[in-house]
Amino acid sequence: MPRVTVTVRDFGGHTASATADYTVAPPVRGGYYLAGNADPTADLVGGNFRSLTQYRSLADGYVFPGYGMTWLRDLGRAGVALNVVLELKHYGTGNPGAQTFTVDGVTWTVPAPAMTIQQRPGTTWPRAYGYGQVLAGQCDGLLARALSQYRTMGVPVNLQLASELDTDHEFGTTESGVSYTWAESDARAVQALTYVVTWLRARGLPAGTTFSVGAGGFDRAGFRRTHPEALMSLLDFLQWNVYATDPTHTALGRFRRARDWAVADLGPVALSRPVIVAEWGVQVAAFPDQAAWIATVPPALARLNAERGPRIVRTNYFNSGWGTLSPKEAGVAALRAAYATRPFG
Amino acid sequence: MAAPTVTASLDASTYSPGDPITLTVGYADPDTRPVTLTIVLTDSQGNSSAPVRVTAVIDPLTVGVADDSGRAWTKVSDTGTTAVYRVVA
Repeated sequence: MPRVTVTVRDFGGHTASATADYTVAPPVRGGYYLAGNADPTADLVGGNFRSLTQYRSLADGYVFPGYGMTWLRDLGRAGVALNVVLELKHYGTGNPGAQTFTVDGVTWTVPAPAMTIQQRPGTTWPRAYGYGQVLAGQCDGLLARALSQYRTMGVPVNLQLASELDTDHEFGTTESGVSYTWAESDARAVQALTYVVTWLRARGLPAGTTFSVGAGGFDRAGFRRTHPEALMSLLDFLQWNVYATDPTHTALGRFRRARDWAVADLGPVALSRPVIVAEWGVQVAAFPDQAAWIATVPPALARLNAERGPRIVRTNYFNSGWGTLSPKEAGVAALRAAYATRPFG
Repeated sequence: MAAPTVTASLDASTYSPGDPITLTVGYADPDTRPVTLTIVLTDSQGNSSAPVRVTAVIDPLTVGVADDSGRAWTKVSDTGTTAVYRVVA
């Protein structure tokens, strides 16, 4: 940490000194996600892409690096910071029921997922392993399987537990026939995710492993409820996602929304943690010139990181869903240009 | 002679590469006194010049800034009690 020393001296030789320390942070890591957890390597060529988001369900028998996904390990070895969203949400396997499998000589049986999340009216509600199931130890086998695979992958990752708790809980949850409100679901998730982090840390993790919990970051009360100090003391990063979906949305406004809530509402432990923006994107319907909006992101981040509060250290463009780049080539070129610019470059 | 005093404060604690860093130095010395001399020349015939005023500082302080990272700070202002320096992170 550099130190500046100021010394004053009078004619008689009397002196006094004062010091001030400061840190010059590394550049922000510009990152990416390609739809379908697809191999992004070709898109990353020629750009300053140093961060990546991936999604895995604990239900999947091939969590790390993922079935046929050896490129994930290769990117990690090449210095790309990996953010792996590890979800209780059930996908990645066609088997909706109980699972019995063996991990390192131990046979585990995990019951069928008993919770529904993302209960938006008029949609099919996804299933997930329930917070009660986690706390009862019924999902320990899933954690053991993922941990065993992770240990052999050879590169450390940030484990982001859940993708977006606010999206998962917005319309309440149901576990084993019992309904829970949004706030009740948040409280249950905090307990369950505390259990997961504690369980994994107790069993030994590869050096460099870090943790965060997932939030869309679109609801202030939910963000506050899911970031209590006791949980944050177990985590290494804050995290939220950023989307421009309306022509009035500016990069500065969108990137700072959850940040300002955090600064106002969270405790000192939470605010000591840097921020991963696991997803950011600009919707082409709102901004036909996606490249122009992308070009406004570097100065917005430089300004935000110059303010008091947690620093945003990774931003991964979500080339899928709302963030789908269309045309893709122009969008990826815009990302390359942005990531070559301060505070990325 | 009394000892001088000094304070140093930065406008943030963490910077991104390329950010401007601003250092504000507050300094004082009880012995430091501004004085104003008013000079009037008078010849033998009693003719006097217009008065001329000059100012001086008794026991002025010199301020030095050193950075162990090797960055060279530039002074951008100095009131005599507050000096502002700047460098690029």
